[in-house]
Amino acid sequence: MKKQETKKLIKDVLSSNRRTLLESEAKKLISAWGISTPKSILIKKKKDIKAEAKKLTPPYVLKVVSQDILHKSEAGGVVTDIKNIKELNNVWTKMVKNISHKMPTARIDSFLLEEMSPIGIEVIIGGLRDPQFGPVVMFGTGGILVELMKDVSYRLAPLDKKEALEMIREVKGYPLLTGFRGSKPADIDSLSETIVKLSEILIEIEDIKEIEINPLFVYEKGVKAVDVKAVLNSE
Amino acid sequence: MSRKTSDIKFFFNPKFIAVIGASPAPGKISNAILENLKRTGFSGVIYPVNPKYKSINDLRCYSSISEIPCDIDISVIAVPSTVVLETLKDAGKKVKGAIIVSGGFKEMGDNGKRLEEEIKETAEKNEIRIMGPNCLGIYDTVSKLDTFFIQADRIKRPSNGGISIISQSGSFAATIMDELASKGIGVARIINYGNRIDVNESDCLEFLADDEATKVVALYIESVDDGRRFIDVASECTKKKPVVAVKVGRRNAGVNAARSHTGAMTGRYEIYRAAFKKAGIREVDGYEEFKDACRILNIHSRGKGKRVLIITDGGGIGVNIADACENYGLRVDELREVTKNCLTSKLPPFCSIGNPIDLTGSVTDEHYITALEEGLKNGFDIAIVTVLWGPPQLTERLVDKLKEAMQRHNTPIIVCSPGGEFTKRINSLFEGKGIPVFSTPESAVRAAAILCSKRI
Repeated sequence: MKKQETKKLIKDVLSSNRRTLLESEAKKLISAWGISTPKSILIKKKKDIKAEAKKLTPPYVLKVVSQDILHKSEAGGVVTDIKNIKELNNVWTKMVKNISHKMPTARIDSFLLEEMSPIGIEVIIGGLRDPQFGPVVMFGTGGILVELMKDVSYRLAPLDKKEALEMIREVKGYPLLTGFRGSKPADIDSLSETIVKLSEILIEIEDIKEIEINPLFVYEKGVKAVDVKAVLNSE
Repeated sequence: MSRKTSDIKFFFNPKFIAVIGASPAPGKISNAILENLKRTGFSGVIYPVNPKYKSINDLRCYSSISEIPCDIDISVIAVPSTVVLETLKDAGKKVKGAIIVSGGFKEMGDNGKRLEEEIKETAEKNEIRIMGPNCLGIYDTVSKLDTFFIQADRIKRPSNGGISIISQSGSFAATIMDELASKGIGVARIINYGNRIDVNESDCLEFLADDEATKVVALYIESVDDGRRFIDVASECTKKKPVVAVKVGRRNAGVNAARSHTGAMTGRYEIYRAAFKKAGIREVDGYEEFKDACRILNIHSRGKGKRVLIITDGGGIGVNIADACENYGLRVDELREVTKNCLTSKLPPFCSIGNPIDLTGSVTDEHYITALEEGLKNGFDIAIVTVLWGPPQLTERLVDKLKEAMQRHNTPIIVCSPGGEFTKRINSLFEGKGIPVFSTPESAVRAAAILCSKRI
């Protein structure tokens, strides 16, 4: 998807009366800005699994795609480390059953089958539109404890690479990225560029109210956006 | 809506002032305003307005604004809230600006809020810029304007200096003013705009950015009116002079919808901090640091870097200062060998030569100067001279000697001198000579950190 096409994507979401982008849409959006996401395929019907899964390299991740489910893990809508197609078929059946049990009213649009990304250093990059100061970008160390640790830094958008680097250096967890206890340093350059790109998305697409890549895996070389959420303005 | 600087400049250079609701009765707010205007030596013309009197304090009193023979720059309004609107209607287009001191508006609920709306409408129609309501207005040592209704024997007025303060809160403005005055620190303009129905922090910042009398701007902020404009004008201002700010009301978190972690974690305060960073404003943490920032920036406008030289006659305090430096991100680098050798030959053998330089209890005034002169040859950015007054050979003459040293060097010198009565007396001598003196290691180091922060 090209940057210009993202505007149509947003328009379509709004006209179908949704305020939250599906994960697949949010990933398309950030990909248009050159932020790397896992290789993936949307599958609607179980019978297509075999043919589609062959196009990807296992292990797989299967995620439910539903406008009614914002927190997929809680709904039983995410399974990782699926070794082969046989296992994938079982996971699919179980996931449908789980969701219909936990969230019986949720409409299931499709399933997102992804190549599983190798573990990197987990960070969060978020953005929101403040009614008074406009777009704000947040960076922090990621993981499930993100709201507890609050190891984050902020800048107002638009921001440049220098400011993005400052944000990265400001958090307490910064040494995790520079080679903590013998690990190789992470690609801080790509990370800072990703922060700048998120800032650009916020500036460019005014309909976005909140956007968040969490986690973003940072590797020795490159980064990968493993999960993305985007919420649009109400009116 | 775009406004220009010239819009509020007239508030700071008035020729004709009307005081509405003027009273001869001592203790009345309007009387205090009249008295203060006279006391500061305001050189323009003052017109008291009150239909009840023919003259007040030897000034002719007018029954209404319309009766005054000329146009008015500032009308200071100190009448009950219900009469303010009428006053503005009377003024027509005769008045450029009004400082509405009266309370009883938004802060009192819906009726007050409605009154404010009506005032705003009338002011816009008559092209009157409004400061307030519910404010103290302006204390200005340049134009000698003082609309603060607090009596000068209760709250001291600072002399002329380079700091200008913008404060949403009247009590904060008045208290800081009193503290600065009692420390002998001068100000240029102090502005308190209260309920802010028109003139706001951005207008004031825009004016102060170009104001030659203002060398440093200190902001007290509860909230800002127009976020993006604030950032624009503050960014312009910080290019020209240091701006420090304290943000209060930090607890009202999470107005942003919480559908993401980002939304849930981000309160108003975090966004204000990001805004300050964007604009190059140095944030200070609370009342104490605000006051200290004013004190230090009044004397030294900037430090070049983060390297601190510590000189003391008390080993323990020296280490305490060095620790505090680390906490505030300052560097306490070791002295060069050549400097150490030089100091070893010039100072008595019991001195501990390093950073800190510890001159011990046998110190003399000259030892301090020697240590400072040699130490500064190492290219330090700031010196903290930590004098404890126990050593018997130290004398008050050190005050003058340090003053002379300050004049010889570009490097900011900060004195830290903790102690009781005797120490406090000497500290006031330092203050009298314009040497910044702090009475705790932490406050001295915090002041040093303010000097070396970015954009200041």
